[in-house]
Amino acid sequence: MNVETFKYDNRVVRAFAIATVVWGIVGMLVGLLAAVELFYPGANLNLQFITFGRIRPLHTNAVIFAFVGNGMFMGIYYSLQRLCKARMFSDFLSWFNFWGWQAIIVSAALTLPLGFTTSKEYAELEWPIKIAIAVVWVVFTVNLIGTILKRREKHMYVAIWFFLATALTVAVLHITNSMTMPAGWFKSYSMYAGVQDALVQWWYGHNAVAFFLTTPYLGLMYYFLPKAANRPIFSYRLSIIHFWGLIFIYIWAGPHHLLYTSLPDWAQSLGMVFSLMLIAPSWGGMLNGLLTLRGAWDKVRQDPVLKFMVVAITAYGMATLEGPLMAVKSVNSLSHYTDWTIAHAHSGALGWNGFFTFSMLYYLYPKLYNTKLWSTKLANYHFWIGLLGIMFYLIPIYVAGLTEGLMWKQFTRDGFLQYPNFLETIVQVVPMFRLRSVGGTLYFVGVLLMTCNLYRTARAGKFEPDTEAQAVPWQQIPAAPHGGTGFHRLLEGKPLIFTVLAVVAILIGGIVEIIPMYLIKENVPTIASVKPYTPLEVLGRDLYIREGCLGCHSQMIRPFRSETERYGEYSKAGEFVYDHPFLWGSERKGPDLAREGGKYPAAWHYNHMDDPRATSPGSIMPRYSWLLTQKLETDSLPSRLAALRRVGVPYPAGYENGPAQKDLQAQAEKITADLKQGAVTADSDREIIALIAYLQRLGTDIKAAPAAPAAGQ
Amino acid sequence: MYQNVLESIKGIGLYGIVSILIFFVFFTGMLVWAFALKKNYLNTMGNLPLEDGQRPETATDKIQS
Repeated sequence: MNVETFKYDNRVVRAFAIATVVWGIVGMLVGLLAAVELFYPGANLNLQFITFGRIRPLHTNAVIFAFVGNGMFMGIYYSLQRLCKARMFSDFLSWFNFWGWQAIIVSAALTLPLGFTTSKEYAELEWPIKIAIAVVWVVFTVNLIGTILKRREKHMYVAIWFFLATALTVAVLHITNSMTMPAGWFKSYSMYAGVQDALVQWWYGHNAVAFFLTTPYLGLMYYFLPKAANRPIFSYRLSIIHFWGLIFIYIWAGPHHLLYTSLPDWAQSLGMVFSLMLIAPSWGGMLNGLLTLRGAWDKVRQDPVLKFMVVAITAYGMATLEGPLMAVKSVNSLSHYTDWTIAHAHSGALGWNGFFTFSMLYYLYPKLYNTKLWSTKLANYHFWIGLLGIMFYLIPIYVAGLTEGLMWKQFTRDGFLQYPNFLETIVQVVPMFRLRSVGGTLYFVGVLLMTCNLYRTARAGKFEPDTEAQAVPWQQIPAAPHGGTGFHRLLEGKPLIFTVLAVVAILIGGIVEIIPMYLIKENVPTIASVKPYTPLEVLGRDLYIREGCLGCHSQMIRPFRSETERYGEYSKAGEFVYDHPFLWGSERKGPDLAREGGKYPAAWHYNHMDDPRATSPGSIMPRYSWLLTQKLETDSLPSRLAALRRVGVPYPAGYENGPAQKDLQAQAEKITADLKQGAVTADSDREIIALIAYLQRLGTDIKAAPAAPAAGQ
Repeated sequence: MYQNVLESIKGIGLYGIVSILIFFVFFTGMLVWAFALKKNYLNTMGNLPLEDGQRPETATDKIQS
């Protein structure tokens, strides 16, 4: 038998590690700015590029794809080589992966503040960037599978299964949810409309959390935790059940983001039941992690790496208990649209992903630089200040969430809404928003301490670009004496078969959920009076998307008395058949807008956009004064209308070449005349006119209906 | 309302049954398989991350000797 000598590539691991820290700092800073803007709306300095609506997606994308994404690649590139006892398949692909990913992040950081967004949460980037993501992801997957194929270790450790499932599922999700019709380089319309679009988006959104923030990190947990504790995982058998249980169940649970919306009931119930079942594998995984430390808790006291890991795994357990509970319909009726959701997301992001990433960085830097951590004491400070930051973030924001939910639903003894003015509820939670930013600041200070510590560690040691290792290729080793079942041996010997099985497991859930939605496409009860948007409204809607209004305003009235009293008739599936994309939103920092049309005169909207506090004292909405001065861009109208027709909106052929511009002009003049009645003089070619046209249209169609479907869902 | 919508799709009743069946078969199979795995194998697998080619490798050593 030949013992082969080879080298692990540490350079690309270090590159991803640096990118993780840098983008972590950027992403958290943007988050802090967003947090401050929520209680001090002037914090954007009246600059459109950093208004809350535009930087919210920048923050989520930066944290998810830049910070956690680079952290994931860092961990995978380090552990995969060692688990496979092989260098990465191709250095070129490794570096393509690295630079490609950074280029995507930079383009996101440029386009989102400019307002180029699809509006779909965690999938906001416009189509050219989406294509780039697909290319880089394929490169990563090829590099991953190539390394697995050339491995010297016969067995595929469970971490590799998680990596494979991540690579394949993210590809499937990304492609399915990115089906859009381009209308120019930086604009596209979702192929799906309304209810279907919502279902596909949240099937994606939920599983992006599952397969981008959870499965890769679980794989990393199964590698780095045993390494840091220097003992094997508590139960390898449990890890197998954890893996198959998790990837099989996770994919079914997406509709729990759409409970009580216009989504069909059966899909909502499916999402709820599978969410509850998810507790089992998630907690199996958490316990497997924590029990690995049984008898070694003394190490946790001394080793900051393990400290961070324990809190991360505990946060994973808490978030995966809370998530399924929030997916119970009755709980969701209270929690949805409130800051509870934000708290849930941050317990996962700050606790699980953040702390686990820090633990990996503290573990890897001394290894990569062949030295000891510069200061264990400083790392311990980071741990405590980070933990305090999480508490200061979560507790106020849970209180805010509950306060909002309860106040929105509170009736007086006479049966009227106790707080009919939405503003009353927001003013109540503003102090919580202030406290939350203190928590965020503490967490951020911790990251700065870590950056300093890692930098000093790197300075003190000497970087080892390649680590030499030796192993005998498994093909040269006689069949293992410990056996294993035949089926399992086949599975491991042939990673491609394994891959196919994993894809089948995730596809089943997706298919069962989505195919009926396609089937009912023709059967969604269309409402005769629901008509496509006019050209001016289309442009207004695109402005609504550009400004990220849906970051704070939902357009989905749930069938509760507390909502119908406040906002009007609950939303029907048939109302959204021309909504490419759907704009239901997922949180309310302001009132729902589904029935906004006709509620206020045009002049109110004009003044409100110029200075929200002039019309609504205490409002936390930023000023949108640039809408009043910027000229509406109408050159792209033909390509926009043509793209919408291609995805199924019934504009007559040739409408965009001439008649559309005339209609647009006429409607703009009418709104300008309306404004005049309200003592506002405005040019008819400004952006505000289009936005007012759209807002005044919202939810008005069914009011014109002679007999809208009245039956419940 | 939606019941009517769904009833208009041919064979929609099959969806629920097929889903449950797939689910049941998948999990029973997975559990049976997981519990049939040999202890020796599980131990070797659990120890994999602790060997990374940079020091004597327990599994390989055993086989070589």
